Amino acid sequence: MNRREFLRYQAKGILWMIAGGSGILLPKRLIAAPVPDIAVVKGAPAAATRAAVDLLGGMKQFVKPGDRVVIKPNMSFPTPPERASNTHPEVVRELAVMCKEAGAARILVLDHTLYREELCLERSGIRKACNSISKKMVFALSDDRFYKTTDIPGGKSMTSTDIMKEVLRSDVLIAAPVAKSHSATGVSLSLKGMMGLNYDRSVMHRKYDLHTSIVDLCTILKADLTVIDGTRILSTNGPGGPGKVLKKDTIIASKDMVAADAYAVATFEWYGKKFKPRQVRHIREAHERGLGRMDVENLYVKAIDL
Amino acid sequence: MITFWRAIQLISLILFLILLTLAVSSAITPTPLDLFLLLDPALIALTAISARIFYIAFIPALLVLLVTLFFGRIFCGYICPMGTTLDGSDKLFAASRKKQPEAGKLRLLKYIILFFLLGASLLGVSFVFVAAPLSLITRFYGLLVHPVLAFLFNEILCLVQPLAEWLDMDTVIFMQIATPRFATQLFILAFFGALFFLARVSPRFWCRNLCPSGALMALFSKKPLIRRDVSDDCTDCGRCVNSCPMNAIMTEDPRVTLHEECIVCRTCENTCPENAILFDRIKSEQVFEKQRFSFSRRQFIYSGLFGAATATVGLTGLNSLHGKPGPGQVAPQGLVRPPGALPEMDFLAQCSRCGECMAACPTNTLQPIWLDAGFMGLFSPGLNLRRSYCSPECRMCGEVCPTDAIRSLSKDERIWAKTGTAVIFRRKCLAWEQQKSCMVCDEVCPYKAVEFRKEPGNRVPVPLVREEKCAGCGYCEHFCPVQNQSAIVITPMGALRMSEGSYITQGKSQGLNLSISPKSEYGLQPEGKDWGKGFAPGFEDDEFGSD
Repeated sequence: MNRREFLRYQAKGILWMIAGGSGILLPKRLIAAPVPDIAVVKGAPAAATRAAVDLLGGMKQFVKPGDRVVIKPNMSFPTPPERASNTHPEVVRELAVMCKEAGAARILVLDHTLYREELCLERSGIRKACNSISKKMVFALSDDRFYKTTDIPGGKSMTSTDIMKEVLRSDVLIAAPVAKSHSATGVSLSLKGMMGLNYDRSVMHRKYDLHTSIVDLCTILKADLTVIDGTRILSTNGPGGPGKVLKKDTIIASKDMVAADAYAVATFEWYGKKFKPRQVRHIREAHERGLGRMDVENLYVKAIDL
Repeated sequence: MITFWRAIQLISLILFLILLTLAVSSAITPTPLDLFLLLDPALIALTAISARIFYIAFIPALLVLLVTLFFGRIFCGYICPMGTTLDGSDKLFAASRKKQPEAGKLRLLKYIILFFLLGASLLGVSFVFVAAPLSLITRFYGLLVHPVLAFLFNEILCLVQPLAEWLDMDTVIFMQIATPRFATQLFILAFFGALFFLARVSPRFWCRNLCPSGALMALFSKKPLIRRDVSDDCTDCGRCVNSCPMNAIMTEDPRVTLHEECIVCRTCENTCPENAILFDRIKSEQVFEKQRFSFSRRQFIYSGLFGAATATVGLTGLNSLHGKPGPGQVAPQGLVRPPGALPEMDFLAQCSRCGECMAACPTNTLQPIWLDAGFMGLFSPGLNLRRSYCSPECRMCGEVCPTDAIRSLSKDERIWAKTGTAVIFRRKCLAWEQQKSCMVCDEVCPYKAVEFRKEPGNRVPVPLVREEKCAGCGYCEHFCPVQNQSAIVITPMGALRMSEGSYITQGKSQGLNLSISPKSEYGLQPEGKDWGKGFAPGFEDDEFGSD
């Protein structure tokens, strides 16, 4: 054994130690905890949404009586639910109903839509679905007076941006994205979806690194609850489509945005292929920066079929 | 007390504003939103001549002339929103007005203007936009008053926002009013500022001396059936002379009326202390004063020739597209016309520059242009696709255009009314030049005309335009995150400009494939069907290489 071979041998050992160590640092739970990290329910949109949140302990775990709640769905496109570019209206409605049951004082469903506000609210079906709870619930806010410049203390790339005031005034933020592909960011799930709560998103493309600034944004827009609508998945040509829509009848819920996103990436097919969460850079960065965990294989996932 | 005259004026102005508001709020209703524009005799007559067209919609303007023949210039007195607006402004400026000036030769100017415009129209060039009253007043309210009011309203909303938030008044908190912005406001401001200021010289200075529609109607009301008559009770006190807003009563003899100047407001009738003035069917024995300020036939011909000469200069301008399109035609390069706009020369001849399309454009994309298309194209509508996109589902501009310079299209035809083609400036593009994940152009394109491709040496996919699928709607240009000029720009290249026929048929014959609806191959699909060889944009290669 010459010196080179010895060094190589040593290096291999170190790598093995790191691999083993990471296993200790990120242990798979040996005993099933009563509350799962990720709840996955197959069923009809509304029923599965309720069941998934219930698996996490019910909405009362997240919403206290008198709380102001903001639900952030995807409703940026003037397309019907079957196109899967917006969150299913029944998922949004059920979340709002559950918040109301938990005693929320104010529930708002907000987004900064890409297309004309009225068209998006109407064609996504979300406003109509929520009208039965309250007529003043679903808003697409485009005017700059709805936004307030906010510092991002943990920002690596973007250190300040304009955030929707109503979100800053809220107690609880619920991310309710649809699961869809995205031509620039691979997927658009809860992390990417937060771009609908700031005013100028073009700057995230132009001035900053898109993936890094998504994570920057999520350090101040960290959802208390994430419910991913996987009832239909826009598997190709996202975010707007039309693309291949997979019918999966799945709802994924978690307290951890990164875990929910990572689970959705790993579970569904994108462009006819399987991907690992780390192949989506903003998910990987969010994990590395401690925003949540993408190592879903080490998390307690509870899946049920209704 | 509000007189009958003022009441009708107000109702008419309010109706005009309601129709304009309906157009601005994109309410496509059975109501003809352009009704008032269609009543403007000079606007319609000159457009019909310059564009060599006649539409059934032009009949109302003819009716106005017919009515004038019998009842005098009641359109000016009661209907015209320009006249009412000037009367209103008169209230502000009249105080500083000096004595009524002599009824001067100034009033001949309006005939000169009319015949100037007619001379140009005969050569197929429309200059109605500089003087047609309804074109001007629609621009005044639609492109100047409306944005200013919306702006002020928004400022008030901003002011009360903290209070509304404190009270959780959702209706106020979430109220959103679009504040449009327009080009060429300076002209409208200066023009109307001058008109309002001229009230210092005389009331209705515009209507008396400048308005070509007034001139046209004056030609029809030399001797209307119902007209002013003065009985023998007249004491020559001269009060009516001073009260007449049009200076239509002779100073030397208040019994003499210049009927072609009279707008039948009947102010004199109410002013007369002797009740000596009557508006009625006058019997034929009434002797008519000879026209004092008639001008010679020579002046008519000269102003007409001057108009024709100006039109000729316009036609020899560099940007003029006179004759068949071919080599050497310098079409305005960046100017994208609205969907359904006629071929350029017909378009310019037919467009009265009233600004109704721009006021009605729900996305504030349509803008009046300055000299981009030469002075013959002044104030005509162009799409500013950086400002906003032109939705393939929107048909407002064609719906409200009074002269059909923009065609009114069916839903399906509208999708094929191609306005231009997107061109990517790779040197500005975030993906091509800076290797940044972007793809916003692909994300927003309703026609799915942007494709992405892996380029050797570039770690992110780059966008490419499929020209046959691009309709020039400009979503890409509007949303492109690159500052100032977009990295993807709509050029008028390939725009379909047709005066008749189907855009679908024409587009297909040129090999276009324009669609905004999902293709049949998409939609809900059973899982497990292989997507195929393509790559997955936005995902990174797994350097750990486990599968």
